[in-house]
Parts: sequence; C-alpha cells; structure tokens
Amino acid sequence: MRKMTYGEGIREALRIKMQEDPNVVLLGEDVGPYGGTFGVTKGLWEEFGEQRVRDTPISEGIIVGASVGAAATGLRPVPELMFMDFLTFGMDGLVNQAAKMRYMFGGKISVPMVLRLPTGGGMNAGAQHSQSLEAWVTHIPGLKVVFPSNAEDAWGLMLTAIEDDNPVCYLESKALYSRKSEVPDHVAPIPFGLAKVKREGSDVSIITYGKQVHDALTAAEQLAQEGIEAEVIDLRSLYPLDKEAIRATVAKTHRAVVVTEEVKRGGYGGELSAMISEELFDELDAPVVRIGALNTPVPYATNLEAAVLPNVADIVNGIKGMGLKK
Amino acid sequence: MAEFIVMPKLGLTMTEGTISNWRKAEGEHIEQGDILFDVETDKLSNEIEAKVSGMLRKILVQEGEIEVFRPVAIIGSQDEDISALLSGEGGNVQGGTDEEVLPEATEPADTPVISDEAGKVDGRIIASPLAKKTAGHLAVDLALVQGTGPGGRIIEADVQQAADTKGDKKTKASPTAVKTAAALGVDISGIQKDGRIMKTDVQSYYANAHPAEVANGTADEARRVPMNAMRKVIARRMLESQRISPTVTYNMKVDTTNLALLREQLKDIYKVTYTDLLVKIAAKVLIEYPLLNCSIENDELVLRNYVNIGVAVGLDEGLVVPVVRHADRKGLREVSEEVQELVAKARNNGLAPSDMSGGTFTITNLGMYGMESFTPIINQPEVAILGVNAIIETPVAANGQVTVKPLMNLSLTADHRAVDGAVAAAFMQKLKKYIEKPALLLL
Amino acid sequence: MSGKALSIPKELVLEMYKKMQRIRKFEETAATFFAEGKIPGFVHLYIGEEAVAVGACANLRDDDFITSTHRGHGHIVAKGGNLKLMMAELFGKESGYCKGKGGSMHIADAELGILGANGIVGAGHNIAVGAGWSAQYRGTDQVSVCFFGDASTNISSFHEAMNLASVWKLPVIFVCENNLYGISVSQERHQAIKDISLRAAGYGIPSLTADGNDVFAVYEHVNTAIERARAGGGPSLLEFKTYRHRGHFEGDTAAYRPEEEVEEWLKKDPIPRLERYMLDKKIADEKRISEICSEVEAEIREALDFASGSQVPEIGTSVLNIYSDLVEEARVR
Repeated sequence: MRKMTYGEGIREALRIKMQEDPNVVLLGEDVGPYGGTFGVTKGLWEEFGEQRVRDTPISEGIIVGASVGAAATGLRPVPELMFMDFLTFGMDGLVNQAAKMRYMFGGKISVPMVLRLPTGGGMNAGAQHSQSLEAWVTHIPGLKVVFPSNAEDAWGLMLTAIEDDNPVCYLESKALYSRKSEVPDHVAPIPFGLAKVKREGSDVSIITYGKQVHDALTAAEQLAQEGIEAEVIDLRSLYPLDKEAIRATVAKTHRAVVVTEEVKRGGYGGELSAMISEELFDELDAPVVRIGALNTPVPYATNLEAAVLPNVADIVNGIKGMGLKK
Repeated sequence: MAEFIVMPKLGLTMTEGTISNWRKAEGEHIEQGDILFDVETDKLSNEIEAKVSGMLRKILVQEGEIEVFRPVAIIGSQDEDISALLSGEGGNVQGGTDEEVLPEATEPADTPVISDEAGKVDGRIIASPLAKKTAGHLAVDLALVQGTGPGGRIIEADVQQAADTKGDKKTKASPTAVKTAAALGVDISGIQKDGRIMKTDVQSYYANAHPAEVANGTADEARRVPMNAMRKVIARRMLESQRISPTVTYNMKVDTTNLALLREQLKDIYKVTYTDLLVKIAAKVLIEYPLLNCSIENDELVLRNYVNIGVAVGLDEGLVVPVVRHADRKGLREVSEEVQELVAKARNNGLAPSDMSGGTFTITNLGMYGMESFTPIINQPEVAILGVNAIIETPVAANGQVTVKPLMNLSLTADHRAVDGAVAAAFMQKLKKYIEKPALLLL
Repeated sequence: MSGKALSIPKELVLEMYKKMQRIRKFEETAATFFAEGKIPGFVHLYIGEEAVAVGACANLRDDDFITSTHRGHGHIVAKGGNLKLMMAELFGKESGYCKGKGGSMHIADAELGILGANGIVGAGHNIAVGAGWSAQYRGTDQVSVCFFGDASTNISSFHEAMNLASVWKLPVIFVCENNLYGISVSQERHQAIKDISLRAAGYGIPSLTADGNDVFAVYEHVNTAIERARAGGGPSLLEFKTYRHRGHFEGDTAAYRPEEEVEEWLKKDPIPRLERYMLDKKIADEKRISEICSEVEAEIREALDFASGSQVPEIGTSVLNIYSDLVEEARVR
C-alpha cells in the first residue's frame, strides 16, 4: 500500500496502458510538456514523446472529433477537455458521432476512446468552469460514463476505460485531484457497472459518486452520533449502472438519498431517483430524497458558491427530514 | 370472557354513529355473525354483526349518537361477572377486540405531525409503499394506524407497532414466518396461536393442510431468486451456443500410465496437474489440426497459427473461462504457472476482461468429480471444447492378457459446421498418441 | 476536358465511366422507389456530381479513408461500396450495410475505409482529420479524403479541422463539392466569397478551384494532393464546382433555383460529357458504352432483387450494437 493523489492514480493508469499498447495516445490542450492544466499528464510527454502526448490547439471540436476518427481507424485515444464545461464545443463528436457510429453502422465500427472530463465546482472558478454535466452524457445511448472518487478507483476505472471498445466519458473531480488515498501495489481494472459499499448502515442509503462520496461519508459519521446508520454507496460507474447494488441497499434500509453535485433539475440524480421509485417502490418507507446543487449557475464568491453547491449539512438535514424512527 | 361491543368506525371520516335500532335484546344468545343493531351515519345505514358468540348481557346505549370505539353493549357468557366492565364503561377501551386499539402516538420532537388526523388526507390514507406492503403481510388495517412519518405519513415502523400492539394475535408473525407463508401460499391469519407466529408454525400449519405433500418431512418450497450477472451471462451464452452450433460429442479412452509417470518424474522439481499437461498437449495437437482451433465468421473459417486455450474454472457463483495465450509456444512450466495464476485470479474475482477473451479452444475438467463422460457445450465463437473425465483403473485385455490400466475418457464436443467426424476422430487419435507417449512433446 | 497532363489509361477511363453510371443508375432507381414509398426517410441524391467522387476515389486504395456526407451514395459507390448491401440498407433490410439501422445517410464500410456517410453537416471534417492523424501516427502512407459541401465550410468544424490538419501536417485531402447551395440558400447568400479555396490561405494549406464536372480534372488534382500527402507534405483543399440535378432531398422541387441556371448546368452533365470525350478519343464506341450501361443495369437489378428478397430486421435487434458488450433492455409488447 502507498498513498497517492487522485490525479496520480489517473496518471499511473495512463502510463501503464501507454506502456502496454502503442495505440494509446493522449491529446488535449496543454497536456504535453506543460503536463495538463491540473497536472494529470505531468511527465508523460517526457516519457512517451511528442507523438503520443499531443498538445492541440484550443479547439475542443477537433479534440473530440479527431479522436473519433482516430479511434475508428485503430487508435485508442484519450482526449482531455480542460473543463467539462468546454464539452459544449465537442458535443457533436461525442454525441452524434462517437456514441452513434457503432449503432448506425450496424456494429461494424468501434470507437474506443476515453474522453477525460474535469468536473465540478468548489474552487471559485465561476459559472463556465465549475459545472457537473453528467446528465448530458448519461442521457446518450452508446456512451459509458464513469466517475471515480479516489486514487485507486481512478486508476482501476481508467485501466478498464482504455480497454473498453466503446466511447467512455471519464469524469474527474477537480476538487479531488490532490486528495491522497491508499492505493494497493497492484491495481486491477475495475469492471464498469460495479458500485462499492463505502460504509455499511441499516437506516438509510446514500447513493452517490465522485466528490460527494466524501461528503456522504462525513455526513454518515455525523448521523451515527445520533444513532442513524447510513449506508454509503459509491456508484463509480454511472452507466452501466449497478442496479443490483442499489436494489440491495434499498431493500436493506428502505430509504434512499441520492446525492450529486449537479444542478438538481433534470440531473442524473433524477434518473437514479426514478429508477428507485419505479423498480423498488414497495421497498420504500419514504420518498427518495435528492440532494444536489440549487438550480442556478455556479457563482463566483466563496459564500455564494458554498450556498449553491450541496454540502455535508445538506445531506444530514435531508436524511433527518425523512422521518426515521430512532 | 365478557367484552365490550363498540361503535365501529365505518368510514375513514366517521367520528360518531347513531344507533337506530337494536335487533337483539339483553339476555338473548347471539351467534357470531348475527345482526346486533343498525347504525346510521350521515351517509348510510349499516347493520352491525356480532364478532363473537355469547349472551348479550347489557345494552349500554339503546339509541342515539355515540363516538366511534365507545362501548355500546357487553357480550359474555351467561354467568359471568361484568361489573368491572360496567364500572369502566364510560372510558375509552384499552385492549379489546381488534378494531379498538390505536397505537400510542409516538411523535419524535423533530418530526412535526401536520395533519391532526395523522396519515390521512381528505380521506386518503398516506402511507409509504413499504408500510402498505407490510400492512398487507401483517393484515393490519392502515385506517387504524397512526402515522408518525413526515406529514403524518404511515411508515413501516408504525405498521409493525400496530401489529405488535393490537389484540389480534393471529397476525403477529416473524418476518421469516411471513416469507414462508407467502412462499407456501398460506394465509397467515388462519393460523391460531397465542404468541408470535414463527416459521415452524407456518410449516406445521401447511403440513396439516397438505399431509401428502409433506409425507417425507419437508414441504415443497420453490423460491424465486434473480440470476446474478454472471449467471445471466452464462445462461445467454450457453443458449446461444446451443442455438448456433450443430455439435457432435466424441468420446475416446486414453491410457494415462505414462502421463502419470511424467508427473511423478517432474514432481520434485515442479508439480504439474493433468490439466496443465492436457493444455500443453492440446495446444501442440491443435496447431496440426487448425480446423478445431478456428472460428466461423460470415461463411468464412478464421484459421489461426496460434492457440489460446481457455480453462473452465467453476466458482460458487458460476463459471469463468480464463485464457492461456499462445499455449503452443509456451513451455509446460510456463503454461502451468499461467493456469495457476489465472485460477487464483478467478477465485479472487480478479480476472480482467482481457484474461477471458481471445480463446480459440477450451478445456473443461470434471475428472475430480469422478465424471466418466459428458457433453460439454462449446464456448462461442470457438468450434470445439475438450471435456476431461476421471482417471479410472480399468481392466484392459491386450495380447490375450487382462491387465489393469488407468484410463481416462476424453469427451470432445465439436461444431460440425467446421469439423467433420473424421477430422475430430483424427484429432482425438493424435491427442491419444501424445497422452500415451508424452515424450513426443520433446520432438 | 482536361487529362492532357496525365496520360490516363483507357481502362481507367472506362472504369470511371462505369462508376459514374453506377452512381447515376443506382440513384435513379432509389428515386423511383422513394416515390413509390418503398424507400422511407430522407434520400439525398448526388446525381450531377458524380465526377467528383469518381475522379477523387480513382486515386485511392482500399486502405485509404474517406468521410462522406448526407449526400453519400456517390462517395460510397466510388470507393467500391457493395450495391446490394447499399440497396438493402435503403430498403431498411436486415441484410443491408448497417442491418437496417443506418439508412441512406449512415452507410459505412470499414474494410473499404469508408468512415461513414454522415447526417451532421460538417461532422466529417473532424473524423477525416482523426483518420489522417491515425495514419500518420501508425506510420503508414494511407491518406484520408474528406468530402463536404460548400455550406459546411461555414461551420466551426471546417476551420478546426483545417487548422489541426495543417499544424500537424496530416495526410488529409479536403474535397469541397461546391454545388452552389446550402439546401435552399445560394452560396452568395451564405458566404461572401465565391471560391472556397480562398479559405485555405488562412491555414497555410495549398488549394485550388476547378471544374467538378470534369472527371479528369478532379482525378489530376486529387492525384497531386494525394502524392503530396503520402509523402508527408500535409493537407490540401480542393474545391470542385458542380451542381446537383435534383432537390436537396427527394421531395424538394428546388424551386429556389433559377430555371436558366438549372438548364445551363444540365448541359454540363458530367456523364454525357465523358461519353462525348470517349467517342471523340475512340476510347469506346456507342456499342461499348451501351454494353457498360447494360452491365450496370444488371448490377442494379441484382441489388434490387437482393434488397427486396431480404428480411426486415428482427425487432429485437433494435437494442443490439449500441455497445460492443452491453445489450439494452428491449420493450415487451
């Protein structure tokens, strides 16, 4: 075991896959000698060279679009968009091309690419650099979507993502990049669609992913002081979704809280909530509670941003409002 | 024992009723189900039936309005002393027949009950889905349950509490008993018992009702368990394989004397298993018989100059087939170490998708279970699979003499689209040759 | 007709003629069946522009890449696409190129390097650049030819693609089929330049404008650009002026185009033009030309028989091929 940051976990997986497979190539804005705006690709340009770690113009449309063309013709590109917010310019390549090609062409073309999408707020980056847009990509058939919460998962999910023959959106929490966690000496690829129970509990299930896993665990500790035992599920992979894990936890606690950082309206949390209501109705002893950001752009000022994004207290209060008998 | 007859609650919004007429007189014997009196509410008139049999000892309210759940008469046996009931007649009834008791409201301080009639809004009962389901199992009438959830919603705990406190003992049952009852199709309210109904009570109730079915001790039980993900994959792939491939299974016995000798010779240096040896031998022979190592794609045979052998590994939750790549180019030890590593990974749930892909032929060994012959199913898109059976000491006649030899039966299933009988037979013969003379591996 | 600079072998001329006829007759048949309701959806015909696809693809190997557009039949036929599989796809049959999931606008053939017709105007630019990058990275001398129309040069992807291809020196040939209209909007109403080749200057890419109805001109210019690309000389932008004879899609009467303009362009139809050249240069006589036409007609009939004799896809296949390894839930009715 050793301690490693979330960003290093991503980088180690990239390094291993690049060593294993010459078709794995990185591209994006400042991913080369600069090492990426968040330092994730630091050292890889020196190790693998200009042809494998390519700086691109500030040109998100072609970063995504050229990756599609390269993936369809034998490479396994791992494009980075500096902020997920910039996906707006890359949407056609992702949604109309990458996600559709296999289907439109009757299964004859594969697009194995991993689109890295730094996500989320909490760093005073303002409305255009702080969004959590997972609902945009989970909505699209043909895409897989994963979102690790710690260094080991970041590593293991990236290994799987690069091996996958389908386009994968790999969401990264900017707020977690420098967070350290224990990582075993050997990290195995983590299969998609496999959630992890981060904390066992009997009274309520917190279903979440990414940065909110940590908030959920803190909230669970606080609730435990009051005799409420919360189970925390880290989905890790948003699509494919580990419905079995959700079924198991809801059948156990009969109460579900879905915590996401995205704007609540139209979010992926709504999809999770609907799935629980549709498929687990008779297990529920309370309505599903969604904790998310307010329906606003993410503001700049520290206090405003904090007011808009969900926090530990919101989770605690949300759960207390569910009427648990204790 | 003598007990009160009370004004029943006939509708969700009914708070009081008016007795218009008694059909029975004091001192009259009453059978359960007899009509006792008529009640008028603001909407309708109802005939009220006796819930128990006995003598109508005392009518407390002859006519007129009275609140629900208040006593209107006393029923009991002829000689019973009812003075205690008479002295307490004005109070609310605590503990009696099944509709009388409301659970004590337990309102947590931080959970305000908004509606004054908790759990009920405009006559509709507000209860969680789980509470409704539980109420169904426990035969609890939600109309009589006080909700303590947000907004007065009835939650599961309220139902449990109502079930525990209400006098109707018939519906007090353990969750296991409830599940068992559901599985056996038993109506739990039909079971008579003073205490909590346990699983054994349900089973003996069922046994009495269905003596023939349980003559051998246990009742038939059929549970529905959803397939886990691995099971689903196996089910789909096996079905698909059977659908796609016209198969023939070929059996041949091979003498393993020399194979055992080889193991023995290597033992001190390196322990190999029969599976390892068979992987190595099969790989060698498959290179000579590429048709058994091919797959079929769109009317084309994909022939290969390499052999990747899948080794079926049984797990508690199903079956996985990790692949030894380029088994034809690897030494026995390398093959063996790889098999060991893959099996260990399989058991620790550590196989990567890449460990299980790319196989060109599969070996499945049921020998350790004493199996003598079986018809394995092909692991698509491969075209053949070798089933390995137990080594059995068998008398063999040779040169007019009967000797005992360790024989092992090999069961090869091959896809007839690619592999004709003669080819399969030739392959098996070659396999036999190598197994019986493993020194050939050195050539 | 040009063709003096290169001495194009007679057999290649005949082959190009046959391909142009193949596109023309395939599409005329498609138009008939669309009108009869046997081909559903959108059908965008390439009739009139055949010289561009054929002249360009005559330079390509099977392992070179092309990206196409919503008006894709011509490119696919020119790159060697299978008429039977194309026709079956148009008919929405299980035996079609895409198992009935793509239709006219989404035909691809990975083995022939056809990275798909594309329903999104401008999407092919990026994909072509990606394929060119892939070829460069893998160290092959494959090239990537991107076909697109005049209107798509106003989309950001055109500029992003030109820029990256240029700065990375990718083996991409941008072939603009300027048919003078973006659906109903004429070029003069959608951009302030006449020659799209001008746009290359901003990216340091060599470019030219030429007659797109002259199959030899297309052949020659693309040939030069490909040679440069294969040798590591980077991308080119070639603009070919041409004209679609029919509306934007079947059902569009194209009333927005002046009659005189249509008449003038019909006179420049590339197929009769090539026929006249072949007769003139004694590459073929009338009899040979009519034989070629009969051969193509037989191919089309065979494709039609194949398509109409094929099954519609099983409903269950609607949830397949979304992922390599996941099957979505099917609807139970």
